[in-house]
Amino acid sequence: MNDSQRYYVVLFGSVSHTLLAEKILKQEGIPHKLIPVPRHISSDCGVCIRFMPGVRDEIEKAIAGRVTFDSICAV
Amino acid sequence: MSKLVDARGLACPQPVIQTKKALETDDRVVVIVDNPVALENVSRLAKSLGCELDVENKADGTYITIVSVEKETNKAVGAKNLSCKLGDADTAQKSGPVVVTIQQDRMGRGDDELGYVLIKSFIHTLGEISPAPDIIILFNTGVKLSVRGSDVIEDLKNLQEKGIQILVCGTCLNFFGLTDQLEAGIISNMYDISDTLLSAGKIVTV
Repeated sequence: MNDSQRYYVVLFGSVSHTLLAEKILKQEGIPHKLIPVPRHISSDCGVCIRFMPGVRDEIEKAIAGRVTFDSICAV
Repeated sequence: MSKLVDARGLACPQPVIQTKKALETDDRVVVIVDNPVALENVSRLAKSLGCELDVENKADGTYITIVSVEKETNKAVGAKNLSCKLGDADTAQKSGPVVVTIQQDRMGRGDDELGYVLIKSFIHTLGEISPAPDIIILFNTGVKLSVRGSDVIEDLKNLQEKGIQILVCGTCLNFFGLTDQLEAGIISNMYDISDTLLSAGKIVTV
């Protein structure tokens, strides 16, 4: 897999969880983007947070213990 | 001989109206403007009418020389020729462009925070779906999406790179004091916006 061309997304249990995580990442200055959950992952009208593979550890650390997330997947 | 239109000190859309009027009777018009919005709007009008255009910055204003090439060769048709040109371009595009109008920096009414999440998602998605719209018009608080500090600037730039035209209401930018902070899209006026809406094949309102 060519990581340089891929993104990851963090999926949360609710929109409020996603927004809370977005706030934290904004405060921490970690690059990310709020996007609709890709169709192939879920048909729900949800939102998730997309990021580059390089910041995965930072992101997990930033939200650990503050927001619970469902999963992280490559897109 | 050229006709002189002094549009300095005139509020939008007066410079465009006066230029249009002058082009109906004269083949060669020199318009003097004193702000970038008027320059942009008058230039765009001239281009959309198929005119040749020359811009010169002088100490007392920006001089736009507009030469109506079509009319030189077809004087008999006169002023009508100018408005016909737009119509011809439109019919060439079959049923007309798909236009998305974004009227606020939120999607839907009710909760603002949610509405902001939704509009961000919507604009992101516009870059991924096919067929993409041809034109996006931002007006009222929708213009706030196109200025410095907006979360969707990168998305809008990406849409522009794909060839989607983004028209941003100049009156609205001015009203919010954001004219000098535009980062994506082009400043537009009610002529362009009305023309675009009325010649659209499909309008999607958000």
